[in-house]
Amino acid sequence: MSDEAKAAELKALQAALAAEHAAVYGYGVVGGRISQARRVAARSAYDGHRAQRDALTREVRDLGGTPVAASAGYALPFPVQDAAAAVRLAAELENRVAGVYSDLVRAAMGARRVAAAASLRQAAVLAARWSGESVAFPGLAERTGEAAGATGATGTAPASGTAPASPSATPTA
Amino acid sequence: MPFPSPSRTPSGVRRRSLFASAASAALLAGCAAEPRPDAGRSGPSAVDRARARAARDSRGLLEQYDAVIAAHPALAERLAPLRATVAAHAAAFEDGSPTPSATSRTASAASSGASATASATASASPAVPTREKDALAGLAAAERALADRRAKALPDLPGEPARLLASVAAAGAAHAYLLTERGA
Repeated sequence: MSDEAKAAELKALQAALAAEHAAVYGYGVVGGRISQARRVAARSAYDGHRAQRDALTREVRDLGGTPVAASAGYALPFPVQDAAAAVRLAAELENRVAGVYSDLVRAAMGARRVAAAASLRQAAVLAARWSGESVAFPGLAERTGEAAGATGATGTAPASGTAPASPSATPTA
Repeated sequence: MPFPSPSRTPSGVRRRSLFASAASAALLAGCAAEPRPDAGRSGPSAVDRARARAARDSRGLLEQYDAVIAAHPALAERLAPLRATVAAHAAAFEDGSPTPSATSRTASAASSGASATASATASASPAVPTREKDALAGLAAAERALADRRAKALPDLPGEPARLLASVAAAGAAHAYLLTERGA
């Protein structure tokens, strides 16, 4: 594996880690607003993303990188003030996580690629579970025409520590 | 900072038609001047074969959807979005392919031995279970089996085709969920 490929893989891993940090944060918001009936599912997804975050942190270290830290705050894509919005946010979180895992599939090889594909699959299934809808190309933003309110993808990787935006909903986790 | 926006490489790179290969490059004029970071890992013919097989598999799945819809018209509305997605998958794999490649690899197991061509052959397709629930379960099983098979093919592909195939496999797994869990 060339140095260039290694660097690309590390970069994709860091992006996945940053997205998982954000997902953990986001599910904290989801958990505060979700209906009782779906609370267990939200909790389970929250735990899953924490586990992913921890696994990615180890992987970044294994590749000699310094894992990106969670940001102090995240701007939510839309206000989350009721259970319906919480479900929409959960689906959106999964769609975004799918995006970074599809990139990791491309950048990685072997076992890491297989694991990234499994994570992509998991995100797609969870997104379907929250939204009840089928996404044609999970994680491929360029093929979806950015459907459900995926906001202007600014392309800035969530870097640690800079310009924390205050969340528009209070995290309750 | 913006909320989790997946970090994106410049859009020009991502616009590439997937499964692009030397053989099909001429059809991708609109996407020219793209870097080919994947070159050299896997020959174009291997990618072509993988693409052709993926297209064939999706067409086979599409036939199964059509067969179920033909046998259970009441399911048509529910299945329409899923069917449309499968059609989009087939088109994505066929995109940039000069001809529906006739590579004769016979391993297309689950998706029936039928030809991978057009879709209007529903009536000739294998028997569809008489109970709606069973028919849906059959579709879910086919989706899941294909998603599993595609996941296994990932390590052998260059990056961009692997990304597409992984996405389509993920969509298939989500379909399996929607077919069996939602109001079934």
